[in-house]
Amino acid sequence: MLESFNFRVILAYMPLYLKCFWATVWLSGLSLIGALLIGTLACMMRISRRSLLSRLAGIYIESIRSTPLLAQLYFFYFGLPTLGIRLPEEVTGIVALTLNSGAYMAEIIRAGIQSIHYGQIEAGIAAGLSYLQRLRCIILPQAMGVTIPPLLGQAIVLVKDSALLSLISIMELTRAGQMLTSERFMPAEGFLTTAAFYLLIYYLLKSLSSWSQNRLIYRKSA
Amino acid sequence: MWGYYFNELIHSLPFFLKGLWMTAAVSGLSLIAGTVIGFVLGILRSGGNKWLKTVIGAWVDLVRGTPFLVQVFIVFFILPEAGIQLEAFPAAALALTNMGACFICEIVAGGLSAVPNGQREAACASGLSRIQQLRYIVLPQAMRTILPPLVGQYVLIIKDSSVVSAIGVVDVTRVGWLTVQRIPEGIMVFGLVGILYFTICYPLIQLSIRLEKRMTIVTTRL
Amino acid sequence: MIEFKSVNKWFGDLHVLKDINLAVAKGEVVVVCGPSGSGKSTLIRCINRLEPIQNGELVVDDMAVHDRKTSMTLLRAEIGFVFQSFNLYPHMTALENVTLAPMKVRGMPRGKARQLGLQILERVGLGDRGASYPEQLSGGQQQRVAIARGLCMHPKIMLFDEPTSALDPEMINEVLDVMRDLAGGGMTMIVVTHEMGFAREVANRVVFMDVGQIMETASPEAFFTKPQTRRGKAFLSKILRH
Repeated sequence: MLESFNFRVILAYMPLYLKCFWATVWLSGLSLIGALLIGTLACMMRISRRSLLSRLAGIYIESIRSTPLLAQLYFFYFGLPTLGIRLPEEVTGIVALTLNSGAYMAEIIRAGIQSIHYGQIEAGIAAGLSYLQRLRCIILPQAMGVTIPPLLGQAIVLVKDSALLSLISIMELTRAGQMLTSERFMPAEGFLTTAAFYLLIYYLLKSLSSWSQNRLIYRKSA
Repeated sequence: MWGYYFNELIHSLPFFLKGLWMTAAVSGLSLIAGTVIGFVLGILRSGGNKWLKTVIGAWVDLVRGTPFLVQVFIVFFILPEAGIQLEAFPAAALALTNMGACFICEIVAGGLSAVPNGQREAACASGLSRIQQLRYIVLPQAMRTILPPLVGQYVLIIKDSSVVSAIGVVDVTRVGWLTVQRIPEGIMVFGLVGILYFTICYPLIQLSIRLEKRMTIVTTRL
Repeated sequence: MIEFKSVNKWFGDLHVLKDINLAVAKGEVVVVCGPSGSGKSTLIRCINRLEPIQNGELVVDDMAVHDRKTSMTLLRAEIGFVFQSFNLYPHMTALENVTLAPMKVRGMPRGKARQLGLQILERVGLGDRGASYPEQLSGGQQQRVAIARGLCMHPKIMLFDEPTSALDPEMINEVLDVMRDLAGGGMTMIVVTHEMGFAREVANRVVFMDVGQIMETASPEAFFTKPQTRRGKAFLSKILRH
């Protein structure tokens, strides 16, 4: 199989791959930002003392966690038009990815915040700091150390999840592989090149995670 | 109109239940095979052989760095070129088992390394062989750390099984996709799909959380 | 029984055992002492190859421990090892802890092993605690179970790596009593410890180590009253002040 690996075809398709690589990057990037925002909001609601907010956030998070992303994606892709909302596929894809990762981010942030010993907060209260000051100076800096590695982990998951967008006809990395397969009957060249691009993103994000962990650990011991 | 579609959906319930059975079949098979293989590889991974560790580590990176959808396509489209012709269900089970074994391997290796070294030394000093050490001392203690994330991984396997609908396996997600062509009510159809997944996944997630709580109680007592 | 001949050991670049020559006869009780980092724990851990040596010869009970090809399983069954941090198996009762090795290494049937286990637990003063889990026992009791675990294999040699260092003061004596008993019964023992009273009473010989070398060996009386080396004198003055 590998003896007849056709590198020329891959080179010929490289412009397409690069376009799709970029598509994967900006689709994941936008969804990541959205997920962080939704995740923070959902987390705040979940730990709020108002039971209605907490329960709403809870329903959102549990529904997302107990159902597959593909089912959620199809839900929006097929369901939104029935409500009269016609969106381009890319937007539907971003909506699905954002809501999905947002739920997981909410739990990651919640774990980070709850990992701070209450004694620290008490010290802040005793010193006379306001809620926002305590949040800014005591809670968030420490929560960052605990939260950033799993958040980066979720970012890696999100990039891999974006592959499902190929199933609703969005032109991204996996779709490029499908094109090579259907147009030239070369699934090996097609999907192995796709895999290579994803591995590139994976190693970049993993290095970022290691680097940030080193910096944060240094700060902790200092 | 809505009422008509709702009726149609009710009539399609047997079809959905068949899909649910297919989801259970492909997940269940992969879960069992993945656990067996994952445990063996996890034990090898935390053993002394450096070469084995590197090889398994490289395989883990490949599986963790690429989207599951791409892996499914590789198994389904590329293996035939190497002479292994597979139908949709076996290909799906193979890809899902592969992914499951990879993650379970990491969970098991992590659990084994969490057992204090002194335990291994005490067993070794008594004259127990490496296999005896593993069987009577290390693995039983590791199971406490392994069980909660293992159950969590089972949930992930069930959710990822939805991706195999892309190569035509008629699981719950595929049934939804096929149904929505006839009954263009995306929200109803995929709402039902979601509920079906929810009934399987939510209890398992709760079990994992409860196991995790029990484990922390036990370790604090120790 | 145990013989070190020009033994050297490195941890990476760190030379932790330097040219060790030591012979221990059957029935001898040897106490090894010295400041932390002197290599005393490493020394006894080499005897049952918990740590391998890189250089020299180490012969235990006529078996060449330094030879990688020598199978340690049979030899380890003849050596009981007691750790500073006990290392009891938390998921097993005291009785299960002490009977595991006899059953799995010597193939003893369960009934016979249980009888033996209860007998030995009785000997260390814990005959009624067989069904307790380690977390239900005090430090001193756990360490005595650890000693029983070693004794159940009817070993020829018992090695103790700072057995009382992790214990609260009021529990030290119950463990030392068991060890005194053992010594009185003619067991070959090597004990790494700071307990000088025990050394004076029970040891045939004291080996003083520092920076990976054996500095002095003498009878306990000789070492404690007239240490020959400068380091030996310094070490004793630090210890005896407390």
